[in-house]
Order: sequence, then C-alpha cells, then structure tokens
Amino acid sequence: MNVYTRFKAMMDNHIILSFKGEITSDIVTMVLQIMESKLDAAQEKGTVKKKIFNILVECMQNLYHHAEPENEQERSIRSAMLELFFDNEFYYITTGNFIKSAEVPRLKDRIERVNAMEKDDLRKYYREILDNNIISNKGGADLGMIDMARKSGQKLEFEFNEVNEILSFFSLKVKIAKNN
Amino acid sequence: MTNIEIEGTKQTPAISFNASTGVLKLSGRSIPENTFEFFNPVLLWLDEYNLVAKDETIINVKLEYFNTSSSKYILEIFKRLKGILNDGKKVSVKWYYDEDDEEMMETGEDYQDVSGLPFEILVIED
Repeated sequence: MNVYTRFKAMMDNHIILSFKGEITSDIVTMVLQIMESKLDAAQEKGTVKKKIFNILVECMQNLYHHAEPENEQERSIRSAMLELFFDNEFYYITTGNFIKSAEVPRLKDRIERVNAMEKDDLRKYYREILDNNIISNKGGADLGMIDMARKSGQKLEFEFNEVNEILSFFSLKVKIAKNN
Repeated sequence: MTNIEIEGTKQTPAISFNASTGVLKLSGRSIPENTFEFFNPVLLWLDEYNLVAKDETIINVKLEYFNTSSSKYILEIFKRLKGILNDGKKVSVKWYYDEDDEEMMETGEDYQDVSGLPFEILVIED
C-alpha cells in the first residue's frame, strides 16, 4: 500500500477529479459543485468553464442513463468511471462504463458520424436531430454526442473493450482547449 | 387559469408563466435527469393557455446552461407557442445570452431556425 506513490501519480497527471462508482443524481450535483469551485480557484475563463460544465453534465447523464451493471447477479450496481484532468493545452473529461455488446456497432457509428463532420455540418445535424427526434427521457445519445462534439470543437476519442459475450466497456475522452 | 411560478434550483430552471399578462420567463440552469417529470406540467399549462392566450405573448429565455434532454423540451415549449402564433396571435421570443457565451447565442439562432418563431437575440445587460 503506497498511497504516496498514487498521490504523486495523480499530481503528475494533473487529476482534478477521479470517481468510480454509481452516478446518482446527488453525485451529479456534487461533482458540478466541486468542479465549479476548482475552476474558480484556478481562475479559469468563463467560456472554458461553461464548456467543461456542459460536457460534464452530458457525460454524467450518459452514465446515469446508459451504464449497464457489470454482471447479471448484481443488477443494482452500475459502476462507472469519470475522470477530469488537464495538461498545458487541454482539459480532458474521460468516462468509462459497461454497455451491452449488441449496442457497440450503433454507438460506434454515431460517434464516427459526428467525428466526420466539421463545425457547420455539426450545426445542421444538431438542428435536424433536435427537430426530428422523438422526445426521450434519456435525452437520446445522438443529440448528446453532437452537442459534446460542438462544444468541445475537437474529435471525440473512444474505445470499446469486449468484456464477454454480453458486455463491453466503453471509454470516451472529450477535450476542451484552454484557449477557447 | 392559474399561473406557474417555480423557483430555480441547481438542477432546474426558474419558471414564471403568467396567463393574465402573457409574459413568460424561463431562466437559470436546466440539467435534471428526469426532464419529462419537470417539463410535462409546463407543456400541459401551455396547452391550456393556448385556449385563452393573450393577444400578445412574450417569452423571455435567460438560460445559463441546459442538457440535451432539456433542449428537446425547450423546443416543445416553442412549438406550443408556434401553435398560438398560427392562430393569429402575436408571439415573440427574447433569447438572452452572456456577452462571452457565443454558444448560447448560436443556440438561440438554432431555436429561431427550428421553431419558426420571431426571435430577438439579446446580450444580458448587467
């Protein structure tokens, strides 16, 4: 057990916040509060702060609505991961959660489609989906991905790791430039 | 009919819809997980208001930020108002944004385009 080593690693990687567990409504509020005070303390620009906030909310709500439990025996445990860190150029928001393997192709298509678009096309696509999509309480991952891509202004980085026949692990990294 | 007066929270916007003046206000942040639960009563109110709408209805929107599931409901609010406009009454939107929040301005333009309502997109004066 070397907490100091782990502490130093977190320092070196500029980790602002690291969370593993179930994303609940209270956690969402709390994470936003923590971020608000940390970004205020760092005297981060209002525009960058708003972008981070917006993307963070979207990421957490994806975890809240779409994270699958790790195994069938423990349906109630929907563990997910959320991390925020930075370097000289960017803030990074990363999320990780289990999804059904059957959903991988559709999600992959969605992200790739969004990643293939430039600013103006994203905007057109956003308007189209906003207007045409059926209202769902879960918000619809489509609009969420488009919104994150628009606000980030960068390509979304993602990866899928197959866990077993039923489950895969979905990793997402969203970047926000500091000089926004 | 009764008015809607809802105070804002860290997750939900402040709403003040006044049927007797035709002045509607929506402000703050809108990031609830359960957007249906929050917005459905507001949409039902608008359906009722449609029947007794003032000659002129103005909605002031001053949002700090909102999640994408709220964005659908915000459009639904505008669509309800479009119905009133289509009945021959005056409806207009005042969409406010922080001077440095270009995205909120663009979002206003997106809603203007999609809703077909007359919009004024204005900078919030301190």
